[in-house]
Formats: sequence, C-alpha cells, structure tokens
Amino acid sequence: MVEVLSEPTGRGSYSGALLEVENLQVEFHTRQGVAKAVNGVTYSVNPGETLAVLGESGSGKSVTAQTIMGILDMPPGKITGGEIRFRGVDILKLSEEQRRRIRGEGISMVFQDALSALNPVFPVGWQIAEMFRIHRGASRSDAKKKAVELMDRVRIPGAKDRVNDFPHQFSGGMRQRIMIAMAIALDPEILIADEPTTALDVTVQAQIMGLLADLQRDSNMGLILITHDLGVVADVADKIAVMYGGRIVETAPVHDLYANPAHPYTRGLLESIPRVDLKGQELYAIKGMPPNLLEMPSGCAFHPRCPYRREDCATAIPPLYPISGNRGSACHYWREVVDGSR
Amino acid sequence: MGRYTIRRLLQLIPVLLGTTFLINYMVWQLPGDPFAGRCGQRPCPDSYVSAMRAQFGLDQPILVQYWQFLKNMLTGNLGVDFNQVPVAAQLGDAWPITIRLALLAVAIEAVIGISAGVLSGLKRGGFIDNVVTISTLFLLSLPVFVTGFLLQWLLGVQLQVITPTVSDEATITELLVPAFVLASLNMAFTARLTRTSIVENRRSDYVRTAIAKGLTNRRVVGVHLLRNSLIPVLTFLGTEVGSLMSGAIITEGIFNIHGIGGLLYRAITGQDYTIVVPIASLLVLVYLVSNLLVDLLYGVLDPRIRYE
Repeated sequence: MVEVLSEPTGRGSYSGALLEVENLQVEFHTRQGVAKAVNGVTYSVNPGETLAVLGESGSGKSVTAQTIMGILDMPPGKITGGEIRFRGVDILKLSEEQRRRIRGEGISMVFQDALSALNPVFPVGWQIAEMFRIHRGASRSDAKKKAVELMDRVRIPGAKDRVNDFPHQFSGGMRQRIMIAMAIALDPEILIADEPTTALDVTVQAQIMGLLADLQRDSNMGLILITHDLGVVADVADKIAVMYGGRIVETAPVHDLYANPAHPYTRGLLESIPRVDLKGQELYAIKGMPPNLLEMPSGCAFHPRCPYRREDCATAIPPLYPISGNRGSACHYWREVVDGSR
Repeated sequence: MGRYTIRRLLQLIPVLLGTTFLINYMVWQLPGDPFAGRCGQRPCPDSYVSAMRAQFGLDQPILVQYWQFLKNMLTGNLGVDFNQVPVAAQLGDAWPITIRLALLAVAIEAVIGISAGVLSGLKRGGFIDNVVTISTLFLLSLPVFVTGFLLQWLLGVQLQVITPTVSDEATITELLVPAFVLASLNMAFTARLTRTSIVENRRSDYVRTAIAKGLTNRRVVGVHLLRNSLIPVLTFLGTEVGSLMSGAIITEGIFNIHGIGGLLYRAITGQDYTIVVPIASLLVLVYLVSNLLVDLLYGVLDPRIRYE
C-alpha cells in the first residue's frame, strides 16, 4: 500500500478488481434540505470490462462517477460514507495532489456535451497536448505531435490540418472524438463515459460507441458507461447496474438482464422501449414520477410506482438480494418479477 | 481580420469629421466674446477685438473656419493661442503627463481590480470576498473629487508620506496616488466584473473538464478559468481608456498636475478655443482608437468571434 501511495500512477500487482466502489454515500446540502443522491452504491470494474450504469436523471449515476473522478462540487456535495478503491487503495483517503495525478493517468472521463466541456478559447490540439505537457512534462512540439497522433487514432479526418482549430469549428461527433482523444491520451486504466452519445445523432452515436469499444479492446481499459439509453447498452456492455433513487436496484450480466429482468423498475424500462411488432399499441410508461431526492419514499424508493408492491415495501428497504453468482436485485419479491407474472 | 481592420479604420474617418465639426461649431456658438474681457478692468478697444477676430478667422463663415481647422490639423500646425503662445508646445508639455497618468491608472485598475475580483470570486462568501465587496461599494459611492481630496489630506498633509501636489516633472512615484484616485471608480467596477465573471465560469463544464484532466489547481484557475473570465473585463478596461483621459480633469486639478486636464480647464474658463478644440478632438481620437483596439483584441481573446 505504501508503495502504491508513493506511485499513484504505477500499474501495480494488485489482484482484486481494478476499481471497486463500496457502499458509497453522497449527500447534497441545499437550502431545502439534505438530498441523498447516492445511498450505498457498490460496483466494480475489471480491466477490459464494460460496466453500464443505467438510470434516469437524478438516480445518482453521474454523481457516483463524479465522486470517483473527484470532480464533485463540495460543497454542496458531501461524501458521507463508503470507499472507492482503485487498485486496492481507497482514493477517498488520498491527498488532493495524489488524486490529481490519478486523474487522466489512471482514471479519466468523457462528458456528455463536448461543446461546453471543451474550453472554447483554446485550440483542440492544445487541449489534448496539455495532458502530455502537464503529466509527462513533454515539450510543446512533442506534445503537439502526440495530439495529432491521438486525433488520428480517434479517426478525425485531416487531423494534422485541424489540430489548431477551435472546438466551435467541429461538428458534434468530431468534438466528442476530441473529448475521447483527450481522455485516452495517457492510456488510463479506467475510462468513465458520462452519457457520451446523448447529445448526438443516432448514426453518430453508433460511431462513437464503436470507437469506444475499439479503443477499449486495444488498450484493455475498464469502461464505465453511464447512460439512460437501453439501446446503447446492449451491444457494448458486459454487465449492467441499474440505479434508482441513489441505489443500485439490479445488477446483472447484460444478456441475463435483457432476457429476464429481476427488478420491477428494470422490467418497466425494458417494456417502455418502442417495438416495431407492437406498432399501433399504446407505448408502455412507468407510472408516476421519479422520486424527489429531498423526500425519498420510505422503504423501497420505487414502491409508489411499482406494480408488484405489497405492504412491507413501504417500510423495509430491500437489500440487494443475490440471485445467482453475479446477479442481484433489490426487490423483496424478485422471484415474482423473474417469473414474469404481473 | 486584415480586411476588417481596414474597414474599421475607414469608418473612423466620417466619425472623426462629424465629431470635430460639432466641436468647432459648438465652441464658437458659446455666448460671450472671448476677446472683450482681455484688457483688465477696461473694455477692450474695438480695434483690438477686430484684429484678434481677423487673426483667428472668427470673421469667416463656420465652414471656412472648419476647413482651416482641418488643414491645420493635417499639417500639424496648431498655431498660437489668444496669448500668442504656440499651442503645439503647450500640448507637447501637457500630453505626456496625462498619458503617463492614464496608463498608470489603467495598470492600477487592471492589477488591483482583477486580482481582487479573482480572489473574491474564487472564495465566494469568504473573508476576502466580503472585504472586496464592501470596499468596492465604498469606492463606487464616493465621487472622484472626494476620494482625491481625502487621500491628499490623509497621505499628503496628515501622514506626510506623499507630497500633496505633483511637481512639474510629474514622476511615476508622484503620480501613483493621483492615478489611484483616477482609477478608483473603474477599479472597483473591474473588481466586481471580474468577480461575477469568475463565479459564473467557475462551475462551467470546461473548468470541470480541466480538473478531470488532472491539471493542477493553479493551472485550472490561472489558464482555463482566467482566460475565459477576463474577456468581458478587458473589453471594459479598453473602452474606459478614453473616459479616463477626460476624467483626468478633476484629478489633475486636485493634485495640481500640469496635464491636458488642467490645460483644458484653464482654456475653457478663459474661453480660449484654440486650445479647447484640439484637445477635445484629440480625446475623440483616443476614444475611437482605443475602442477599435478593444474590438480587435476581442477577436484575439475569443476565437468564436470572427470578423468577416
């Protein structure tokens, strides 16, 4: 551990999962009260693995990612419990300087809206090159050469001629490629992609997801894909964590989850995807509204909207019941859900 | 950008013609004969008045006078004032002092205003923020002549750390306090503008990206945040250079600085238009050029602005 601390970017011999989030709890202190954004989230990612974190806005999926990254605004945010272990070391206990060195080198992040996430007044090549100049002490010209290489790698046509262009001179898809180039510049072990395709056209979405998958295969990095789009997840993810009201309500390998969801919320999400064979019928929608983080429903946060609810759902918070080796569902009645009776 | 610059320079010509004509016209329309009261207790003899009127072309129609003015300006021949002292020499003495004062004031505005704004914006609600907010409010609510006399009395008379008035040489050290007085309002405004801009940009996505890139805090703030936050501030500082020059009249009066402010003031009270007109025209030119520079600078600072 001492060795890892002194060299936070070194690729160690740690044998457990590459990144483990355990029982993470994050609150936001607002004028209206305390919003519990993340209530005991646990997940892990291994090298070469893709974890999809699925959930609607306010489910805590982005807050978890920001906490891992160390870019949570504190205040109002506050980490009230849990651990985030990167190569076995709890990074929440590291100094700010040690955490800074992990950012970009060990864990990096791609944001949703590349136009606002890139600095408008600096050329894109400069922004990519900055990674090498700050983390590796590279010279201006070397860093710029590497920036062109990276822009080639994320398949930006004519990278050499465009290295001095500014973000607003690129299309949405190209901007997102630049974000990705910046994130993979230092060959990180974990890449967090926070809704990387939400702001893009469908065709461009597929290209970006394909690019991420290729890059991951080349470098064997772990990928955390945060999304609310079930369609995006199916092709690329290995396992899925479904979040609702700041908790993980279901976790499963991707095919098991699609074939047979074990939580009523997941089932509702899958049923609300438009299907060609049901054309003309009314689209299914989960009843009710997402929970208000300031006034979480008692017991299971999903119970006011749940077609399976019983009386005890309003009082007892369901733990993540293990279903089989790597599946879990936070529903007292997951057996009924799996059976599909409703 | 080259074509844009040329177009903007060409636009200056009609503006300059219009404003200088207005200055000439207004000045000669003021009531009172500038020559009638120049002979002590007795009224001036008609022969003197008519001779002077002929010398300065006051018997000509306004358009002819204006043409003469343009010709003189373009050839650099500013002539003599009503006391037969060359105008160019007087301007030559006064102009460098005011330029020095104004530049010093801009430097004070920029350095103190921006630093205070950045510090208070970064720690909103903190101690520094409160100090800056209160002191800028204080400065903003004080007229310049109050600040001027107050500092002159306090530092010059009571504590005697400065000389209360500035000597003819007007060295930088002597001009420091007058420049601070001249800068005070704009400095307070600069601090507030910077603070707002910093607060606004601090939560922006690109700053979050810069942190996520693993950059040091110094670099996140000093490069990514500052560069974007300073765009409106520099625009403000630039456009205010012109008003700073004309604002120097009061400050120069308080500290007895022999710059164009004092010259202009004496010329106006003495109705000596041979000095008022060139100075006013020069101020217009300074204002126009500094505005043009700001617009061009804006394009350099913010690549999203394109001039085509």
